[in-house]
Amino acid sequence: MRKDWQTLELCDRFFDAIEQKDYEILEKCYAPEAIIWHSHDCLYQSRADNLAMLKRGMETLPKTRFKDRRVRVFEGGFVQQHTIHVTRADGFVGHMEVCFVGYVRDGMISRAYEYFDTGQIKKFVGPRS
Amino acid sequence: MNEYEIRELCEAFFDAYENRRVDVLDRLYADDCIIWHNVYGRETTRDENLARYHEGYAGQRRRTYNDRIVNTFDDGFVIQYTLNGVMHTGHRGALWICIVAHCRDGQITRIDEYMDSSKFPAWMGPPRRDVGGDASEG
Repeated sequence: MRKDWQTLELCDRFFDAIEQKDYEILEKCYAPEAIIWHSHDCLYQSRADNLAMLKRGMETLPKTRFKDRRVRVFEGGFVQQHTIHVTRADGFVGHMEVCFVGYVRDGMISRAYEYFDTGQIKKFVGPRS
Repeated sequence: MNEYEIRELCEAFFDAYENRRVDVLDRLYADDCIIWHNVYGRETTRDENLARYHEGYAGQRRRTYNDRIVNTFDDGFVIQYTLNGVMHTGHRGALWICIVAHCRDGQITRIDEYMDSSKFPAWMGPPRRDVGGDASEG
C-alpha cells in the first residue's frame, strides 16, 4: 500500500537536512545499501562517498537552498524537481536546475538518480572556481 | 487517467518519437502543452516543438529510446531513459535523460526535460569528412 505522506516526509527531511547542515538526520535518510547515480558521469556513487561529498558541502558552503521544490510521489519512490542555490565563501550564489529521482525502501532512500546540466556549470560554481 | 492509461500514453509518446511519427505526437500533445528544457532554460509550445522535430534529427540516422524506467503519479509520469543514436557518419552516441510529464484526458500537458549538454559533442561525434571542408581540398 502506498503511503505517500511518508515518502513526502522523507523527501522533505532529506533536502531540509542538507539545507540545515544536519548530517545526523541526512545520514539516516539513506538505506545502508544506498547508491547515487549522477548524470554527469553516469556512475553510481557509494553511500559513503556521497555522504562525504555532502558533508564537505555542509562544511564549506555558507548556504545551500533547494528552491521551487516540486515533488511527485510514485509507487516506491518520488521525483523532486528543484533549483539548488549555493552561496559560496566568496559570496557568489550559484544555481542549477536539478531533477532528483529517489527510490525508497523501508522509509529510506535506497537508490537515487540526479540529473543536471554540467554544460551550465559556471552558473553553479562561479567564474573563479 | 489511471496508471495503465498514463503508462500507455508514455509508451505511445516515446514510440512515436522513435518512429518519427509526428502525426502521432501531434495527437498526444495537448493544445496547451508546454515543453521546458533544462539545457535552454526556457519553455516552448507544442507547435514550436513539433516544427523543430525534423531539425532535431539533423545529422542522425536513427534514434532509439532505451532502458525506459517509467513511474507514474496521480497526474503524470517520470521516465528515465537512454537515448541511443546512430549518426550519418556511423558514430554511435548516447544521452541519459529524465523527463517529468503531466497528463490530462489522454494527452500530455507539460514536459520538463533534464539532460547534460556537456555530452552533446560525444553524442554527435566528429563531423563527416565529406561535408563542411574546403572544396579545394578535393
